[in-house]
Amino acid sequence: MNILYSMIPIALAYSAPLVIAALGGLFSERSGIVNIALEGIMMVGGFTAASVTVALEPISPAAGYWGLLAGLAAGVVFSSLHAFTSINLKANQVISGTALNILAGGLTVYLAQILFHQQRTAAFTSGLVKVSVPGLKSIPLLGPLLFVNASPPFYIAVVLVALSWFVVFKTPFGLRLRACGEHPQAAASMGIDVLRFRYVGVLLSGAFAGLAGGALVLTQDIQYTAVSIHGSGFIAMACLIFGKWNPFGVLGAGIFFGLSQALSLYAKDIRFLAGIPSEFFYLLPYALTILALLVFAGKAVGPKAAGEIYDAGKR
Amino acid sequence: MRSRGNRGAARALLAAAALAAAGLLSLSCSKPGPEAGQKGEEPLRIAIAFDVGGRGDGAFNDSAYAGLVQVAKAYGGKIVGDPDRVDHGGKVELRYLESKLGGQDREQLLRVLSEEGNRLVFGVGFMFAESIARVAKDFPNVHYALVDGVVPDLAEGSNVTCLGFAEEEGSFLVGALSGLAVADKPGAKVGFIGGMDTPLIHRFQAGFAAGAAYANPRLRKPGMVLGQYIGRDGSAFNDPKTAAAIASTMYKGGAEIVYHAAGGSGAGLFEAAAAAGKLAVGVDSDQGYSLMTDAKDPAARELGGRVLTSMLKRVDQAVFLTAKELVESGKVRGGYRTFSLADDGVGVAKNEFNSGKLAPYEAELDALKARIVAGEIKVPADAEAAAAFVKGLK
Amino acid sequence: MPKHKKQSILVPIVAILFGFALGAVVLVLTGRNPGSMFLAMFQGATGINVKAGTFNPRYIGEFVIQSMPIMLSGLSVAFAFRTGLFNIGAEGQLIAGSVAATAVALWVQAPPGVHAVLVLLAAAAAGAFWGAIPGWLKARFNVHEVVITIMMNYLALFLNNWMVLYVFGSKDRIKTALFPASALLKDDALAALTNGSRLNWGFVPVLLSVLLSWFIIEKTTFGYSLRAVGFNKEGARYAGMKVERNIVLSMAIAGAFAGLAGAVITTGTFNYGRFLPGAEGYGMDGIAVALVGGNAAFGVFFSALLFGMLKAAQPLMQSQGVPKEIASIIQASIVLFIAMRLGIETLISRLKRKSPETLGEEAGT
Repeated sequence: MNILYSMIPIALAYSAPLVIAALGGLFSERSGIVNIALEGIMMVGGFTAASVTVALEPISPAAGYWGLLAGLAAGVVFSSLHAFTSINLKANQVISGTALNILAGGLTVYLAQILFHQQRTAAFTSGLVKVSVPGLKSIPLLGPLLFVNASPPFYIAVVLVALSWFVVFKTPFGLRLRACGEHPQAAASMGIDVLRFRYVGVLLSGAFAGLAGGALVLTQDIQYTAVSIHGSGFIAMACLIFGKWNPFGVLGAGIFFGLSQALSLYAKDIRFLAGIPSEFFYLLPYALTILALLVFAGKAVGPKAAGEIYDAGKR
Repeated sequence: MRSRGNRGAARALLAAAALAAAGLLSLSCSKPGPEAGQKGEEPLRIAIAFDVGGRGDGAFNDSAYAGLVQVAKAYGGKIVGDPDRVDHGGKVELRYLESKLGGQDREQLLRVLSEEGNRLVFGVGFMFAESIARVAKDFPNVHYALVDGVVPDLAEGSNVTCLGFAEEEGSFLVGALSGLAVADKPGAKVGFIGGMDTPLIHRFQAGFAAGAAYANPRLRKPGMVLGQYIGRDGSAFNDPKTAAAIASTMYKGGAEIVYHAAGGSGAGLFEAAAAAGKLAVGVDSDQGYSLMTDAKDPAARELGGRVLTSMLKRVDQAVFLTAKELVESGKVRGGYRTFSLADDGVGVAKNEFNSGKLAPYEAELDALKARIVAGEIKVPADAEAAAAFVKGLK
Repeated sequence: MPKHKKQSILVPIVAILFGFALGAVVLVLTGRNPGSMFLAMFQGATGINVKAGTFNPRYIGEFVIQSMPIMLSGLSVAFAFRTGLFNIGAEGQLIAGSVAATAVALWVQAPPGVHAVLVLLAAAAAGAFWGAIPGWLKARFNVHEVVITIMMNYLALFLNNWMVLYVFGSKDRIKTALFPASALLKDDALAALTNGSRLNWGFVPVLLSVLLSWFIIEKTTFGYSLRAVGFNKEGARYAGMKVERNIVLSMAIAGAFAGLAGAVITTGTFNYGRFLPGAEGYGMDGIAVALVGGNAAFGVFFSALLFGMLKAAQPLMQSQGVPKEIASIIQASIVLFIAMRLGIETLISRLKRKSPETLGEEAGT
């Protein structure tokens, strides 16, 4: 039981960046643009957040939050490349995303070498401090799990999940966004500016992924290095699929993947898991995603028009 | 259709012209290369190859770099290509390179450095062992120094020197210190967090466990000295979040003091210590001192206050002394050199901030150190030997 | 030369020039010297140090071995592209090949030469298997190959690490025991020829693969049907071609090329199996190589040499004060430019197809 109390806050902390990034992917794909550059955008966001935090720490106790904001902004800027290439120039979205992933890896470490004279950013001291919510933390059972030494990005993630669900499914904006992703020609015939909505979708994904990258670096590390993100962007994509392109599904998937990551730390303390090599736990999210892809393959998968180049002339 | 071809051709020509122009421009204003001597006298060249991650780890690599800086200061040298612009003259030319992420280019880095006229090349980290062994054969006139690794079959005339440290001895002392510090709390445990699960780091753990048990009989019982490793490969030295998670669990499980040998991951331990209100012990460099004197960040002092001491591993000394040998005598002895408690190659960090906390235990620590140096206490260097040692104490 | 072929060579060339120009601009803007980068690249490829006037054949050897794996992963991606499939799984297929190569090297006894060939065959088979799985899933269940292959890349990575540590056994946690000489593509003669580089016989299977890939795609009916599926899946199915089978076979062949790369690295560049802390990027490099090479075998050959030159120059660049990441920035820019240009071309061709003048032009041609 004690183990659960240690493991769950950590699992929630791990899941937060995954959920936030996956929400970004959701907005992009719902609008019809496949974005496999979540990984690259998270890198850019993480690098920016770390750099800004280092710069502001001497003068502001909220440096971490400014860092998050900066990461978000950097994500928007970086994703605009993908938006321009995919939407205006109608390039192949997977190629564009791949190029951005390569670019992000190179650009971030390059800038670190220029700014900090080493292959990583300078270390910040505390980043985002864990919080214990007064009052709520005394709730029996749930209190210590959710409100003691909790990671702020997790709360941000939950709020964003609720907001996203509301926006996507309960507002006219969301309806139009989804139309662009399901049947853009029909949407266009209703007077919806498909290109504009898709731009919004991609830029939103940039904002979310940038925020997620910042959250990851600020809560789990003391600096941005070339391996800080280490595949989280791709796990976020897996969360999106696992969660069936629904914000609450994404939240569940993210927590599940966070749990499996946390499990690898505590396996040696749990008797029947103790003998299993840690590689198995690292494997788990990926293997499960493949399984999910198979299970859900028959039913409607993503937005129908996601990935197709929008051709105004097509019927 | 023809117009498209023409447009494409025109674009290509334009691009080629732009590229050529950029190339010519840059060549014309390129700085003189390292071959240009200064005032006719050829500077002595010394180089360091860092391992994965390079500078900025706050521990190992940075310590080696500090050694380079010392060399520059002492002998009037400059560190070439270093944006920090360490420059005390042109008599000695120092440079450093960092490995790529997977470390595949270690050997190539060494070769590049060897071909550029460096007389002494350091490989920092045990992962350089094989590459140095191979490269040293091809460059008999270049001397190689390997920090922390072992190349077998070396003699004094070899062009390879292995610089090792008696980490277990230093760890024994901090283990004893930890044991003494919790002596007044009956159920208190101590813990160890290792970075990469490898024989080198096992040395730290073995020494620590032995020292703790030696100084505090209660810690001889099983389960009183906790230990866990972060991971299996080099990334374990750069994983603060896992270190923080492991440390929290240890503190929750009753540990009062946790010692780490995990390089850059240590920051996670310090944060967990601050959150739990407990103590931590750093490694390699005086991490407590660095935190307390961090001018940039007031929050650092909070973390620094949690660091009881650090197990110093004077990589900077090793680098400096080896370079000194080259500069002063023109050559370096091959073979093996171990820096231990006897020559302060390892030790317990004492600074203005923790001297008060250490004061009650100093006498006993000094006595222990003397006994180790005299050979009366044989500090174990791996798990089995440590277990036997503790058994033998009862 | 037919006009459309001229266009397709122009696109990569312009993209390359722009990519390098952008890299030079980035360097200048951040106070670094582009000249050093170009000199390093020149030295990396030819071994000639212009400033010091020295020649060192070791660089040529290193240039070759850096180009070899990405030539194979480029072939892998290119081959799949021709069938209309995006193979981001080259990295995983390569790793699967390394595992098989390690297994055969350590567990099978055979005379030299034969042993090496067995290693290569096993690696190709493992890669083919690792590629066929997503191929089959795509063909049968229409699961998008992009996500599946990315997941399988990670699966391969962790399986490799598990095998290196637990099954093959590792004393120092970084690598397995050394391979017997009979299994190696390494050759001291070649190394001596190039002043201590890691040049090995791997270039033979690599060149053979280039020829094989060209032959299959351009000269066989099978290749023709693959290309047909790539152009228009439904049309090909209507014409009676076995679309599902072709997809699986195509991914298998693509995987085989990538698996071969794993063998070339494991028994050529190194002589042991390695614990991998993370993906080494051969898959991404392969995508860049394939795109720049226009997805054609000989194009891949040249573009792999180009990117190999960039990689080989990295240690030199770093030693000249140019951060080696500039290579990734250039690579990414080239891919991005190609993606943009291809996009523009598609747009232009679609517009042109609609306009009456082109219809008239085409009728007249």
